Amino acid sequence: MNPAVHLDGITKRFPGVVANDDVDLAIDRGSVHALLGENGAGKTTLMNVLYGLYRPTEGTVVVDGEPRSFASPRDAIDAGIGMIHQHFMLVDPMTVWENVVLGNEPRTWGGLRVDEAAAREAVVELSERYGFDVDPDARIEDVSVGVQQRVEILKALYRGAEVLIMDEPTAVLTPQEVEELYDVFEELTDQGKTIIFISHKLGEALSAADEITVLRDGVNVGTVAAEDVTREDLAEMMVGREVLMEPATTPREPGERVLEVTDLHVEDDRGVEAVSGISFELREGEVFGIAGVDGNGQLQLVEAITGMREPSAGSVEYLGESMAGATRREHIDRGMAFVPEDRHERGLVMSYDLVQNGILGSQHDPPFASGGRIDWDASAAHAESVIEAYDVRPPNADADAESFSGGNQQKFIVGREFERDPDLVVATHPTRGVDIGSTEFLHDRLLELRAEGRAILLVSSKLDEVQGLSDRLAVIHEGEFSGVVDPATVTEEEIGLLMAGETLDDGSVSGAAIHDAVDDGLGGGGLDGTGDGSVEAGEEGVDA
Amino acid sequence: MRNPLADVTAPVLDDLIEDDYVRSLVVGVVGTLGALGLLGLLFPESIAGDLAGIVFSTGTAASTARLAAPIVLAGLGGIFAEKSGVINIGLEGLLIISAFASVYIASVVGIGNAILGVPAIWAGFLAGIVASTLLAGVFAVVCIEFKADQIIAGLAVWLIALGLAPFMSTVFFGGVNTPNLGASVGWRYSAVMVVVATAGSWWTLNHTAFGKHLRASGENPKALDTVGVSVSRVRYAGVLLSGVLSGVGGSALALSIGQFVGSGETMVQGKGFIAIVAYLFGNYNPLGTLGAGVLFAALDATQIRLQQLGYAVPDTLVQTIPYVVVIVVLALVGRTRIPAAAGEHYETEE
Repeated sequence: MNPAVHLDGITKRFPGVVANDDVDLAIDRGSVHALLGENGAGKTTLMNVLYGLYRPTEGTVVVDGEPRSFASPRDAIDAGIGMIHQHFMLVDPMTVWENVVLGNEPRTWGGLRVDEAAAREAVVELSERYGFDVDPDARIEDVSVGVQQRVEILKALYRGAEVLIMDEPTAVLTPQEVEELYDVFEELTDQGKTIIFISHKLGEALSAADEITVLRDGVNVGTVAAEDVTREDLAEMMVGREVLMEPATTPREPGERVLEVTDLHVEDDRGVEAVSGISFELREGEVFGIAGVDGNGQLQLVEAITGMREPSAGSVEYLGESMAGATRREHIDRGMAFVPEDRHERGLVMSYDLVQNGILGSQHDPPFASGGRIDWDASAAHAESVIEAYDVRPPNADADAESFSGGNQQKFIVGREFERDPDLVVATHPTRGVDIGSTEFLHDRLLELRAEGRAILLVSSKLDEVQGLSDRLAVIHEGEFSGVVDPATVTEEEIGLLMAGETLDDGSVSGAAIHDAVDDGLGGGGLDGTGDGSVEAGEEGVDA
Repeated sequence: MRNPLADVTAPVLDDLIEDDYVRSLVVGVVGTLGALGLLGLLFPESIAGDLAGIVFSTGTAASTARLAAPIVLAGLGGIFAEKSGVINIGLEGLLIISAFASVYIASVVGIGNAILGVPAIWAGFLAGIVASTLLAGVFAVVCIEFKADQIIAGLAVWLIALGLAPFMSTVFFGGVNTPNLGASVGWRYSAVMVVVATAGSWWTLNHTAFGKHLRASGENPKALDTVGVSVSRVRYAGVLLSGVLSGVGGSALALSIGQFVGSGETMVQGKGFIAIVAYLFGNYNPLGTLGAGVLFAALDATQIRLQQLGYAVPDTLVQTIPYVVVIVVLALVGRTRIPAAAGEHYETEE
């Protein structure tokens, strides 16, 4: 039998770059195939070729034994290929069924009117066949990300897709939603559909895929059966050298209290309360991690701590002083470094070169400023030292920030902030978009800062990251900590439950990590097994 | 057995009632008019009596219809453009150019003559529509093809028309104001056009595939592009429709009098901008736009009648009401939802 898709010697060149170099890939019908690789390895380019967004420089796309040449995604769709992009292509204020049929609406009245009943019917029928729980009349903006993803899948199926390409499908999901997605995969492949998903996460490739193809620098390094390989094998294939999978943490020795947040309430731009009574403290030489699905108040919490948003109630005390009313500049001057969530909006000025970006936040201070003038030599030297230390590529301080890839922009921001000599580092998604090799380096650097006795507040949606680096781990859900746990003993499932706002069963979590931060709702609920719920942060590692 | 009527009426009612904001707008207008009528009946000698007399007179109805036609029709056009993602603030210019073109062509044909069986006045009417659509087409090319800033290009459309129409009037008629044609289009025609266009727009936006594509184009053009619908084509259609509808409005305005007045801000007098206010006030809903347009036109008509009755109503103040209203609506009520991608250019990948 022909493979569902056969990519035959695909080469795709962009000016100055070879994104795919003679890639061969055959994917069996009814299988789940993971396309694994670091950022810039050429995964997305390859899939864009298959989806008709790019035309290959050389090579052929063979679908179902038939060579094809796609001029546009429309051709690919007609050939039974559907793509679910990482950023969903949905129209928020429209309903589920309107989105599913968009562009292919069934018509009535001689083509004049959209046949709404038929459209709804088709959507209901499809979602029942594949066991999706989707309300056809719900508006996209009102449903969860997991449901939105299913709407995207329905869109592809409605157009007759036999092969579904998914770009980083788990990036925005909670662990539970990821499990549900795997179930969806199973349902789809049972009915003969073929799934190709792009990922840079080893774990999900191993657990969800039948076969895994690893790309590195645009070259197919190898296709392996998922059951025959380990994480370490895959990591080595991706990076091209051996990778240390677990960051080497050492027992911490917390010192003085650096940050104390008490009953903090923060509203978002619309005036809706985004943070509802969060308390915690952070000491020297400690990493406090906050995990959670994006949009549960992390952003507002961090903004309140770093002086970018006025809290509506509660207090933030930093180095023993209240930060109420302190300006953003005062926060920086007192040694608070901040890696923002959105590097385009807050991390960099895209049209500035790295020399200018390197002094952002320090532009008033020596050695960069003297007598109202900026010392460009000192600034350039600083930018170059960050570029070298953090392996920013290409190493050109005079290039504008926007000319760098996302991962390299991120490395530069993290470098600038870490090298500020901070007492407290607030890092949100510090390794977002950064490849495995560089992630390893950034993690090591973070742990070095910790060993130097600096306090680190780490917010990340990558579970292995927060779990691996934190000394204590809080899980945030709808503006409250649904639990503060010991990352060494908590399981991914437990974190997943907390991320979904559930509480944990009695005694399932080690009590060592819990202290007075636990909010009332939880203290009375699932975490009772943790003793009195107010163990001091310094007494680490004692099981309740 | 199910009531067959339920299937027909329920969705319509749902769509109408779904938008609480528009419903309260309609209730507010009707309620105010009702209260005024009641007061007028109880105290016929008071100012309320005079007001009620004005508001419920045929004369006011006629002048309201005349004044409302350009506002509502341009407003409907603005909805199509902006829903597609192109903010057309050049509606004023489209009204001016169509107002002039309609009178010019009608006078060239000559009242009493006909061209291809179409009487002069209606030939003029069509010419107004064509002129407005052509200008909108230029605007569309500049914004969609050449990715010019929509606000700047829209202002250019207004300024071009504001200069061109009186200039051409001077060239052809020897003055910025054209002579009166001696014939006009009755206000009932305007009223019918407004109602038909409103209903047609509402139905098109809500029940046709084109309506769904327009909405997607203005909210998330990429979503539309990835399902194989050309965003540019949808946007061209939206902007051209704004030209057609504004053309109807501009022609109706000028031909209801039978003359183009080109002095000052021309006879259009900011109605194109009030049209923008009307559709924002109406929350991009044609029915709301109709309500808002009629309300603004009625205020203006009432003000004019009050002047004639000897009340010293400051007309410039009354004319600011729509703008004050829109600021209140946008700032305080905050219910108007602007399409997410309005004003942004869209480019397909590779």
